[in-house]
Amino acid sequence: MTMPDLTSHPRVCLAFDPLELHYDFGADHPLQADRMRALLDLLETCQLWHQGDPLLHLPIRPASLDELRLIHTDDYLAAVQRLGASAARLPALPLQQRQELEQQAFRYGFGDGDTPIMPEMHEVSAMIAGGTLVAMSAVLGLPEGGQFASPQERPVHVFHPGGGLHHAWASRASGFCVYNDAAVAIAHVLRASEAKVLYIDFDAHHGDGVQRAFYDEPRVLTVSLHETGRYLFPGTGDVLELGNGLGRGYSVNVPLEPFTQDDSYIEVIENLLPPLALSFAPDVIISNHGCDTHAWDPLTHLALTTRALQAQVRLVHELAHRYCGGRWVAVGGGGYDPYRVVPRAWALVWAEMSGRPLPAQLPTSWVERWHPSWEAMRERERETWEVMGKPQQESGFPTTFEDQPDHFPPVPRLQEITRANRHTASLVRHLAVPPAVRPAFPPLRQRSPLTGLFDLLHLRGADTPSRSQTLQTPRGPVLLRDFCPPSLVERLRPSNGLCSFTRLPEREHRLLLEIARRADCALALAHTSGGEIVGEVTLAPGDAWWEGLEQVYEVAIEVSRDWRGLGIARNLLAFALDLEAREDLIFFAVGLSWHWDIEGTGLSIYRYREMLIKLFGSQGFKEYPTNEPNIAMDPANVLLVRVGSRADQRIVSQFFSRVLSTPHLPRL
Amino acid sequence: MLVKDVMTRKLITVTPDDTLGHAATLLRQFQFHHLPVVQGEPAIFGFTGAVKPLYLEGLLTSQDIDLAVAASGQQPWQERHVQEVMDRSPVCVTPTTSVSAAAQLLVERGLNGLPVVEYEQHEQRTRALLVGLLTRSDLLIALARALGAFEPGMQLLIPFTAGNPTPLARLLLLAAELHVQVRSLVVVPPRNGQPHTATVRLGTINPAPLLMRLQDEGIEYTFPDLALEERRHDNA
Repeated sequence: MTMPDLTSHPRVCLAFDPLELHYDFGADHPLQADRMRALLDLLETCQLWHQGDPLLHLPIRPASLDELRLIHTDDYLAAVQRLGASAARLPALPLQQRQELEQQAFRYGFGDGDTPIMPEMHEVSAMIAGGTLVAMSAVLGLPEGGQFASPQERPVHVFHPGGGLHHAWASRASGFCVYNDAAVAIAHVLRASEAKVLYIDFDAHHGDGVQRAFYDEPRVLTVSLHETGRYLFPGTGDVLELGNGLGRGYSVNVPLEPFTQDDSYIEVIENLLPPLALSFAPDVIISNHGCDTHAWDPLTHLALTTRALQAQVRLVHELAHRYCGGRWVAVGGGGYDPYRVVPRAWALVWAEMSGRPLPAQLPTSWVERWHPSWEAMRERERETWEVMGKPQQESGFPTTFEDQPDHFPPVPRLQEITRANRHTASLVRHLAVPPAVRPAFPPLRQRSPLTGLFDLLHLRGADTPSRSQTLQTPRGPVLLRDFCPPSLVERLRPSNGLCSFTRLPEREHRLLLEIARRADCALALAHTSGGEIVGEVTLAPGDAWWEGLEQVYEVAIEVSRDWRGLGIARNLLAFALDLEAREDLIFFAVGLSWHWDIEGTGLSIYRYREMLIKLFGSQGFKEYPTNEPNIAMDPANVLLVRVGSRADQRIVSQFFSRVLSTPHLPRL
Repeated sequence: MLVKDVMTRKLITVTPDDTLGHAATLLRQFQFHHLPVVQGEPAIFGFTGAVKPLYLEGLLTSQDIDLAVAASGQQPWQERHVQEVMDRSPVCVTPTTSVSAAAQLLVERGLNGLPVVEYEQHEQRTRALLVGLLTRSDLLIALARALGAFEPGMQLLIPFTAGNPTPLARLLLLAAELHVQVRSLVVVPPRNGQPHTATVRLGTINPAPLLMRLQDEGIEYTFPDLALEERRHDNA
């Protein structure tokens, strides 16, 4: 085999070890190792991957006890080893010893039908955990990822279909999961490097184990999209689970309605993941591609097809290249239709990752090999659907990689479901995406045809396109300019310290460009005569929370770290708000403590808050108490409002009734 | 359920001679509203269970401080002492009080927190040994725990007629047979005293085998239903 050109096509690997096929809880259990066999068979039949191909195969090794201890407790690890070793001879043991073992099994979560004791479960699960750990280390260039002859040979993307056991807790097995491989790998990355990790969980069940492991860790952003926990296991994953302590704002949950279909799902992920990735600025992405979201899956109620599954992978692939140099690990996860869904879904993941086109048709030889296995379980699958309340579908065994749309008719309550999901997504957006990033990613529903903000703010027909003003500072003159057009933003460059919202000045620049392009936003900049942007103020229509209220604008401000203490913020804000229409409008600013650049200013959180109140107070903003949950969540958060003297009284009273008594997001 | 099962045991306390400024700092730093006042315990971290027993002298709430601030005259409120404003005889409960009695007490008296004490006889005097604190938050957490919210599981609603809990009993037997853990089981009597739905939280990711058996036995249950779900929610 010849070595392809690695400089133009970075290396992509699939991590696998035959031992992983022993992760099998028995014949009647929903999690079948056959799904892996069918997947590998499909990849090999289509010549997409071969275990003997050293270029495409990443060899893995078991995680050491030391590595597993990063997440799991000593007593749990000991119990798993002991139970796994004695699993085979359990029935033959004397009664007393057996009871003792069963008690231990019960205590550590092996006492039920979900996660029964399986032989060698420590060895097999450690191999899976090690696989994800090696994969993460390889894409990050850590020594545990193995030695590569040259940096080009280091893989950029790795797919580890055996991984994704996201329910395991520190000291308990849960939901088919023994060791939490993704959590172990992430914890290893946190220990061995300075990298920040974005974990995206597409499995239909909430990624509770991974979220728990990093609930207070700001270096890991966990994002889980799942069917709502109203009925479904594990019951957690509400929007309001946002993280704790320093990690507040670094756990994101998107609970979706049962029977959500492709269009609504794609809309939600495309509107949430890009702004989250932008504002978090990860160094590596790890995504869980549990395909139990598929309409055919017997254990959940989501109703996706391969179109949405493909959209997930494409989006993550794009985000990985845009925000973290391509460093991306994908793991498997749930998926309980082992023959019809899992092999195709994960072949799509691998095809997208490795950039190899898939044929339209499934190979006939593969279909012939696996169709009978499905026929054997077909009746049971049908019964399961019935008790789970899923619609019956008579679509047979697939013959193509992509699902046929006519096999998946729209569900009856499609409109309601779509609306409820939009509602959830806007709430998540409101809670987890910083205000300054939001305008660059327009909301789910385009607002009613809005006149450009420029016209609105120049009600009396001013003819100057945009104003400018020079501010003298101890470090030289700074130009203030409002309604900056995209062309101006393009010519300027951001100061190095302009990074508190997006972490990197270049990204902040791109963000400013997006805002400048929007007609319903206004962008005021402070820049030096050398063309360096040192501060920005954005005016944007209130987001979904304020839906339906016109003439209500959110103000956000940022000044470069290197240019603080020169009075730029105060002057720029005064300048940006010095509009003819200011007395006709309501302006508000939301200060969420978890977005503040505390580190850069050296202020305590309360001093920072006072500083904000003083800054906005100089423009007549007043602090208002509110029970809007986002702001009410932390006593340090603050809502600042400036009501224009000529503002429409009707709108003002609507605004304040929303500020003070909003139990729910207004229905969209 | 008894108070000792749900109360907060790690306490931060003040002494009668501490200043209000110090107390206010503590309340702000730890973000809570109640400080038990104890005798002779100089440390900030007066975790009960420490070597020295703590005897309750009173209770200081953030409201007491608010009032002191509002009424402050010549002397700055920060310099006043805890004993000037504390409640000297707060309503207390003992560790063996039932949680429902404590909840009623909180609501009926309009209180937010109750010190938990054990009384001991000492030289003809009764002294109150502080062992914990029970606040509304503790009760809310206890409620969430009783609903099984801290354990992974899925939820099932089982309707049954009052006086005939057979469907519920069958469900539990089936769960035992199929090795499905019951995380929590709640039957709330509505106002007329006739329960009609049980909320069962089951520790399983794969409810299908159990649901099949329920269907075989003709036991009704509520689970997401494509056409009906929204309507059921509205009715509920």
